[in-house]
Amino acid sequence: MPFSKFLANYHESPHTWDEMCAHGEIRAHYKLFLESLEKASMVDLIHKDDLAKKLFMSQGITFTVYSDGEGIEKIFPFDIIPRIITAVEWTHIEAGIKQRLRALNLFLKDIYHEQAIVKDKIIPASMIQSCPYFLKEMVGVDVPFDIYTHISGIDLIRDSDGSYYVLEDNLRTPSGVSYMLENRNMTYRLFPGLLPKNNVRSVKDYPDLLLKNLLALSNRQVSNPTVVLLTPGIFNSAYFEHTTLARLMGVELVEGKDLVVHDFKVYMKTTAGLKQVDVIYRRVDDEFLDPLVFNPTSMLGVSGLYYAYRKGNVSIINAPGNGVADDKAVYTFVPAMIKYYLKEEPILKTVPTYYMDNREHFDHVFGQIRKMVIKKTNGSGGYGMLMGHASSDQEIEDYKVEVQKDPRQFIAQPMIQLSSVPCFIDGKIQPRHVDLRPFALYGPSGIEIVPGGLTRVALKEGSLVVNSSQGGGSKDTWVLG
Amino acid sequence: MLSRVADSVFWMARYLERTDNILRLLRTDYIAAQDELLDYDWQLLIDTFGDDTPENKLTVSSYREALQHLVLHRQHDYSIFTNIVRVRENARSVQDYITKELWQSLNDFFHTIRNPETENLILHNDPVTALDILLRESIIFYGTVDTTMSRGEGYTFLNLGKYIERCLQTLDILEFKRKQMVKAENEAVHWKYLLYALSGYEFHTKAYRNSLHDKEVIHQVLYNAQFPHSVIYSLAQMDRYFQRLEDFSQPEHFKEINNIIKMMAESVQTYQKKEYVAVIDQLIPDLRLQFANLNQRLSTLYFGNS
Repeated sequence: MPFSKFLANYHESPHTWDEMCAHGEIRAHYKLFLESLEKASMVDLIHKDDLAKKLFMSQGITFTVYSDGEGIEKIFPFDIIPRIITAVEWTHIEAGIKQRLRALNLFLKDIYHEQAIVKDKIIPASMIQSCPYFLKEMVGVDVPFDIYTHISGIDLIRDSDGSYYVLEDNLRTPSGVSYMLENRNMTYRLFPGLLPKNNVRSVKDYPDLLLKNLLALSNRQVSNPTVVLLTPGIFNSAYFEHTTLARLMGVELVEGKDLVVHDFKVYMKTTAGLKQVDVIYRRVDDEFLDPLVFNPTSMLGVSGLYYAYRKGNVSIINAPGNGVADDKAVYTFVPAMIKYYLKEEPILKTVPTYYMDNREHFDHVFGQIRKMVIKKTNGSGGYGMLMGHASSDQEIEDYKVEVQKDPRQFIAQPMIQLSSVPCFIDGKIQPRHVDLRPFALYGPSGIEIVPGGLTRVALKEGSLVVNSSQGGGSKDTWVLG
Repeated sequence: MLSRVADSVFWMARYLERTDNILRLLRTDYIAAQDELLDYDWQLLIDTFGDDTPENKLTVSSYREALQHLVLHRQHDYSIFTNIVRVRENARSVQDYITKELWQSLNDFFHTIRNPETENLILHNDPVTALDILLRESIIFYGTVDTTMSRGEGYTFLNLGKYIERCLQTLDILEFKRKQMVKAENEAVHWKYLLYALSGYEFHTKAYRNSLHDKEVIHQVLYNAQFPHSVIYSLAQMDRYFQRLEDFSQPEHFKEINNIIKMMAESVQTYQKKEYVAVIDQLIPDLRLQFANLNQRLSTLYFGNS
């Protein structure tokens, strides 16, 4: 193996696409990076690893776990070795995501208006009716510029042949973009000079692009619309991200209690009285947005917000009700949507999906459960999943009972062996499985995707679970120019 | 600016100023107890600056125990540790508003007091080193505010909070020193440590050129407009910063708070005409009441609390 100083312990797993190595050879796009490490020693890498931890801690890039009234600060584990994606691969990813988002938006507009896709029997009506994210309150509501998914994070994985699959479309309140930005800030501290040397494309534009879109979405004819970011508050696990984005965009970070609706207009309470708000980038889920219309116990939302929105006096980003397009059961219909609305062939692949409320699918899945993953259609964070290959007979039996109680809430997919990339763990460079979440911004002038994204890493050897809540970490993602 | 943000910035500054003042007092009194006031009453310190509710009242038998309680205690409502947690929690809720540098300086402060070495110094080694390290963090905070914060409303509320708290702390420390004097054989030494605790001893030697007359110490602490911990200086700063809010305020709100601040300054001027030592016992409770009213009205008119 070349670069044996670092890669003596690097063993590619069978049936896995390794992004750095192919049968013991280093892929061309990783060579420059590895060469630049030549002068470093393993001890240097350990120092870099320590420096990264210290920087995250002192910058307060942490999440807080509360116990006994005192917050315990934890850093989101960060791996120092960047993941590298070639320009060609990125072009493919970018085109695939744009195509997908165009279709998903057309689907959302259709489903809240004519429902042609149902009438044409492309998607069964029951699929929509049973989706918990379908908001009847949004039926017939025209949203500005017909855009429902202004900010999305599309999770991609690579199968054993290296082809890209969409694993999930996160359209509601996707998070992680602040880590994309902070991970990049970390890289130039850890590897001075390497970003320009490798011609890595910048992700710095993200907040500017987001703000440009948010300003353009204001309905009020004023020269300087007021944009706010609505957060559930400091106890939310993504609070760091909310503050980071608000600061980078220079907009107010508000909580529900800072806003009030009067005469179908939204105002924020300031020291000088009430000030009208034009655009709300909300990081609060649909059901908590307005206690008068949705969940009446919500303390996070604003009473009357929905009607202000319906009147067109405020823009809510992302649009309420767009979760119907990222339901895991609706997911399988995205290729059909692309063909139906765009008359195009899907660029990115979709993982075959089985419905647990379909008896044949159910039997097929439990017949080869060791090769399957079962998920909740509305789950996130990797919770409530069953991974067949890693579960005991008892766990499988218990899960089966759960599925039978409400089969519509579950889907199954064959286990995809996520691709692996080099990571620096326990003083050694070793392969670990990853996914990729690029962030797309859909504004009146089109869809833009900053070249990069959040690479999430399953830090445990052999693990395929990348969620931060379950032992996952992240790393910087380089898209080469 | 958002009322909630103004509120948090205001309280962030108040907790930080409280921390700074208590740290200075502890440093001074610890050194005094080591070298001069050998019968220092640590219980009195705990009774004054600790939790005085009957169920939480604590009896201490050693200086380390007192320091442990007032600096490091994690549940005790009045400890430096709790104060810093509150500073940071307030800062966290306005993290988008304050500068990144300021957030980082507070975050470092938080990690410093949680550092096991800080505890080790206080419990087993030289507490002065620990107090110096902590004081340095608060100085970094003020420096960071000065060099990075824009001079907008946030800066104004921050300074308003700072000087309100400073004035209250000066009153508290003055009262505490008076209590110590009651029990002491040599009163003068406590006047000296009062000045040390308020970082005003060197100023006193230069400005008054005298061997610590009580009237002159009181003059400095209450009425000397050049002394940055004096009551009159703090009130003047409150007034100065509050005036900047005129353009950002609803006129009737501005007028009401403005009147309260002006009346406080006037009442201090009235006290200045009276006999210095005897008047302290009236001035302290009177000003505290006026501060309570000011806080309550600020909270309602500017911070959106009912």
